[in-house]
Amino acid sequence: MADVLVPAGPPPAPTGGGPAPALSPARSPGLSPGLSPGPAPRWRLTRRQGGSGADSKARRIGDWALIGLLVLVTVIAVLAPALAPHDPVQPIAVPKLPPFTDLDHILGSDQIGRDTLSRVLVGLRTSWLLALVVTAVGLLVGTIVGLVAGMFGGWVDALLMRTTEVFLALPSMLVAVAVAAALGPGLFNTFLAVIVVWWPYYARIIRGEVRGIMARPHVEAARMAGVGRMRVMWRHVLPGVVPTAVITASLDIGNVVMVLASLSFLGMGQPAPAPELGSDTSRGLVEILDAWWIPLVPGLVVMLLSLLSNLAGDAVRNRLAHRR
Amino acid sequence: MDVVAPPLTEARHGALTEAPAEALAAAPTAGSADVAPTAGSADVVARLRGLDVSLERNGVRSQILHGVDLEIGRGEIVGIVGESGSGKSVMSMAMLGLLPPSSRPRIDGSLEVAGLDLRTASAQQLREARRRRLGVVFQDPMTSLNPTMHVGTQVAEKAGSAQEAIRLMRAVGIPQPERRYRSYPHELSGGLRQRVMIAMAIAGDPELVVADEPTTALDVTVQAQVLTLLAGMRDQLGCSIVLITHDLGVAAQIADRIAVMYRGRIVETGTTRQVLESPRHPYTRGLLGSRLSLDSDRSRPLWALPAETPGAVLTGCPFASRCRDVVDACHTDVPALRAASAPDDAEGPHLAACLRQAELEAVESAHDRLPPLPPLPAAQRGAPLVQAADLECAFQVRDERGRKARLSALRGVTLDLQPGESVAIVGESGSGKSTLLRVAGQLEKRYTGALRGPQGADVQMVFQDAGSSLTPWLTIREVLHERLPRRTPTAAKEEQALAILDRVGLPATVLDALPGELSGGQRQRVALARATIVPPKVLLCDEPTSALDVSVAANVLNLINQLRRDLGIAVMFVTHDLAVARIIGDRIAVMYLGRIVEVGRAEDVIATPRHPYTRNLVAAVPQPGRTVLPLAGEPASALDPPTGCAFHPRCPVALPECASTVVGVQLAAVGDRPTNDVTLRHEVACVRRGEF
Amino acid sequence: MPHLRFIGVRLASLLGLLLVLSFVLFLLQEVSGADPVAATIGANASPEAVAAARARLGLDDPAPARYLAFLTGIATGDLGTSFRTRRPVMQDITAYLPATLELVLVAFAVALLLGLAFAVSSMLRWPLSGPFRGLLFLGSTAPTFMLGIVGLIVFYKLLGWLPASGRGGVEGGPTGLSILDSLLAGDLPAAGNAWAHIALPALALAVGPALAIGRVLRSSLTDTLRSDHVRTATAKGLSELQVLRKHVLRNSLNATLSMSALQLGFMFGGVLLIEGVFTWGGLGSYLLASLPVSDFPAIAGVTFVLGGLYVVVNAVADVLQSAADPRISVS
Repeated sequence: MADVLVPAGPPPAPTGGGPAPALSPARSPGLSPGLSPGPAPRWRLTRRQGGSGADSKARRIGDWALIGLLVLVTVIAVLAPALAPHDPVQPIAVPKLPPFTDLDHILGSDQIGRDTLSRVLVGLRTSWLLALVVTAVGLLVGTIVGLVAGMFGGWVDALLMRTTEVFLALPSMLVAVAVAAALGPGLFNTFLAVIVVWWPYYARIIRGEVRGIMARPHVEAARMAGVGRMRVMWRHVLPGVVPTAVITASLDIGNVVMVLASLSFLGMGQPAPAPELGSDTSRGLVEILDAWWIPLVPGLVVMLLSLLSNLAGDAVRNRLAHRR
Repeated sequence: MDVVAPPLTEARHGALTEAPAEALAAAPTAGSADVAPTAGSADVVARLRGLDVSLERNGVRSQILHGVDLEIGRGEIVGIVGESGSGKSVMSMAMLGLLPPSSRPRIDGSLEVAGLDLRTASAQQLREARRRRLGVVFQDPMTSLNPTMHVGTQVAEKAGSAQEAIRLMRAVGIPQPERRYRSYPHELSGGLRQRVMIAMAIAGDPELVVADEPTTALDVTVQAQVLTLLAGMRDQLGCSIVLITHDLGVAAQIADRIAVMYRGRIVETGTTRQVLESPRHPYTRGLLGSRLSLDSDRSRPLWALPAETPGAVLTGCPFASRCRDVVDACHTDVPALRAASAPDDAEGPHLAACLRQAELEAVESAHDRLPPLPPLPAAQRGAPLVQAADLECAFQVRDERGRKARLSALRGVTLDLQPGESVAIVGESGSGKSTLLRVAGQLEKRYTGALRGPQGADVQMVFQDAGSSLTPWLTIREVLHERLPRRTPTAAKEEQALAILDRVGLPATVLDALPGELSGGQRQRVALARATIVPPKVLLCDEPTSALDVSVAANVLNLINQLRRDLGIAVMFVTHDLAVARIIGDRIAVMYLGRIVEVGRAEDVIATPRHPYTRNLVAAVPQPGRTVLPLAGEPASALDPPTGCAFHPRCPVALPECASTVVGVQLAAVGDRPTNDVTLRHEVACVRRGEF
Repeated sequence: MPHLRFIGVRLASLLGLLLVLSFVLFLLQEVSGADPVAATIGANASPEAVAAARARLGLDDPAPARYLAFLTGIATGDLGTSFRTRRPVMQDITAYLPATLELVLVAFAVALLLGLAFAVSSMLRWPLSGPFRGLLFLGSTAPTFMLGIVGLIVFYKLLGWLPASGRGGVEGGPTGLSILDSLLAGDLPAAGNAWAHIALPALALAVGPALAIGRVLRSSLTDTLRSDHVRTATAKGLSELQVLRKHVLRNSLNATLSMSALQLGFMFGGVLLIEGVFTWGGLGSYLLASLPVSDFPAIAGVTFVLGGLYVVVNAVADVLQSAADPRISVS
């Protein structure tokens, strides 16, 4: 049964914690129980921790529905320019139109009369696709670094892990702001600012997983069986990392969305007329007394994206856990 | 024939149990005086009648105990013996009122312990009883002690005061208790931790101590110490002890009575002598028959209880599906415990729950029916296959306080392995036996000394935990194919894979399975299949059976012996268990703290051990009907090995020069065997080797 | 004394981290191309004046020398001069820091309380624990600024219970913390006013961290309660309260401590957004004003001070952990 797959890695015994691996503070706190601080995560492809073992049909359907929603959002993001009913940067309606009052402008209009739905759709496109790219690149870089560090050990490991530790020990939100401020506004610079503080987090998790798997006798057994080094990495180590990587990444997209929106809220996204969820919120803030929905709607969209990503991440984990 | 414990000239053994006697005499006896048992007879401390316990797990309720009847008399040691899943632990926890509330325990029948009806007792009463009348020793003293609290404080919590805690710690044989008081659990050795648990258990002078597998996590010499200590506590304090164990041999050491449990029922109970010498229930007979001892028959395969049939219909006798003497009637009724001996037996009642207990007495034991093993091919003399000379291996580690330290795992090991020969390496934890194996398999490269022998695919290894030695996401087919040369056609690979599976006794369907879908025994077979699909010259085995149930372990040992004979492989087998070593090894090498202290033919080492350590190791193997004389002292630490002969601080026959003379590296031959043949030589690293 | 050694090592790594932080900021300053001369003496200055100013500021020195100057500046409390306010950055930060500290400390206290409530309520399974957890979870998926906006809409715009901006309370008191200053001045209405002002921003800042802390606390409590040594303690006949106090709490503290420290650091980032929403006159607003004009000395100064605080908080948490768990030693 599945339980035999769980224990991996060196005995946790009296090594103690030392400084706990610092979670990047910018990402939303512990939305994923698997990412809580403490000893580096072990290989846990199997059952949810402590959860009821039951894998009911309702839950299965719910999980797949959430994963489907995730795909749907991506499709909407890609098609956003075509789906948007109006030009997002042209004032075409009565300013400050509340939502659900005008069929032509379902989500109302902003302070100068631009269609909120169109702005939100295009803003969602930017946020979501950029978040996907950040997550994917962070995962890629983190996996490569983590795999190399974990496989080779010794000074390579020490060097790479000291580097990630330094990054993780610095407040990532602040560093991202400083980086973005230094590079100037713009999408690519925002991307750079976030990725700089994001990859170490993946590297650390993947490296922990790799070390855990490397400590299992099955890697030594494979070596003894005459399997080459590359093949050991490819066949006997990497597949064990994939579930954690996928789960971590899917739970993390929402956090990336939030950080991107926060940077944009601080004015470090695209310049003025471009629709962006964060900057639209901050610019709408002055209207809070007479048209409170103007800052609320784009903010709500960010929240929905983050909520969806969290729930879908859990769903992905459930599905992976019950795959066998 | 029993191996008699070697007589030792200086009796150090007594020291442990004698010292506490005076210390305990000062114990306040008020605790037991005010006990007024509710039950009629004053000399019963626990009475279980028709006890049913059911627990909930993942929302599914299952009955764990079925109508258990048991009485524990005052001052009595009762051994509860059963395999995992027999319900013995649940019973012991129920006796302490410690069943986890999250499992929503439901208890029927009567459960009276220490004058208290545990089913109706208030929380306050229960607490009072635990504090004053009950004690408990758990299996793993590391996790059972609070890691963030001084051990002395933990004892004092039950003992009431620091002075009392120190007195108890001294009584259980903890050296320098005043100093140890301020130690944290992780700073103590396993044996000392268990002594702390015992000190805690006997604090407050309890009527009943429940010991749940108290020695399973310990080395064999420490196990003997702990058992002796427990028996001594009973003698001095008059408390009753319930000893839960999976090993009949352990129970036989100190128990007055034994109850054998199977699937939540007591299937046989009687005095230790009755149960061991005239077992009536087929299950008890099976346990005894499959128990490896120092005089198991080496010429035949080991006999094992058949495995439980999965999904068998469970009406009638719960043991029916594994019983070789089953009759139709067994499937209809659950047999009740009935008297197995004459009611006027002076020793006490002997009960068994078997329909055929009377007629089965005469049936021969199953072991005799097995055909003898084929003889080994004549050993090839001459050039050794593996030659290790003066191997040393040390690691940088952190000690218990986090300081850097040097761990000397191997301190000069010289050993040869002849082609086709099997050597069992025996030692306790920290002896360096596994390191030796890893060096031989080239998994550990940080060694000095000379090592010659086959390399690469000619050396294969089987690990202790077969589950984790198989890659979880690769099917057995992939695992087996991977061992074959890349360019071999797939059909040929498949053919070889099927052939080896057949050889290790697994069905072809296993090929498509993932390791997680197999049982522990099957996985170890797969590991053996992978190691031998291309027969290596040397097979290294690192305790491959220690994580398995007795019956499964026996089958794996049989398989290794069979593969040796079929494929002519040399075997290096590491184990902590002398009885296992004797089954597998043509020769046995005994290691202590990074050195081989004795090596010779298995029968020589077991029957006439020459090194004092080996003699103690042999003596400490729990055997029914033989008293164990435990060795005093703690195993020395590999972080700080004693000078000279590493064993001298514990050695009962040590001379002053033992502290300075290193004889470990040079083994000296003893006996009158021809010494030019390495497989017949008996060598010992002891200055007094000739005297015994 | 192993603890002293641990503290020593941790202190050394703290200094190392501050060094790295300073280096990162120096690097960013170089990359940003911010020109302090152009910003301070104006674009119309004569080339000679520019050259003189560059020489005075050491801008023509090689990079290592400039970094050394930057580092000595930090060590002596000189973070340069703000392009925007034309005041020394250190002076600005000293003026704005108390407001930020007050907000973060109150928010942290709220987060601890909410986290504790979360852990306790979900362990006791009382009827309202479900909705409470759901609300906290929902709140934690919202960006911090979003919580502030929702809070404003509900409690300021719709209900009119709480003020929307500013700090209230006595201003210019000795500590700079307006609640404390009001209390020190004996002005209870002012203190109440200060509380009313801080309630919304602190709550908005606290929701996310509260969930994280609560989750870790809950899981370590459940793990400890299930552990063997708690069973031993129960078997000893200790009362539930004794078991909880002596054997559960301390052992559960560790993970909670490090998570709390992380979340406190997280708040140093979140405070930027919250101060923006509530026009709270602290470092966040100061930074926010500096961002659009690329006032890099100010940005770097704030980042260094808040980042330094974050590093220090984590180091303190580590030391506390090693005091709570004797097994922890230098890794």
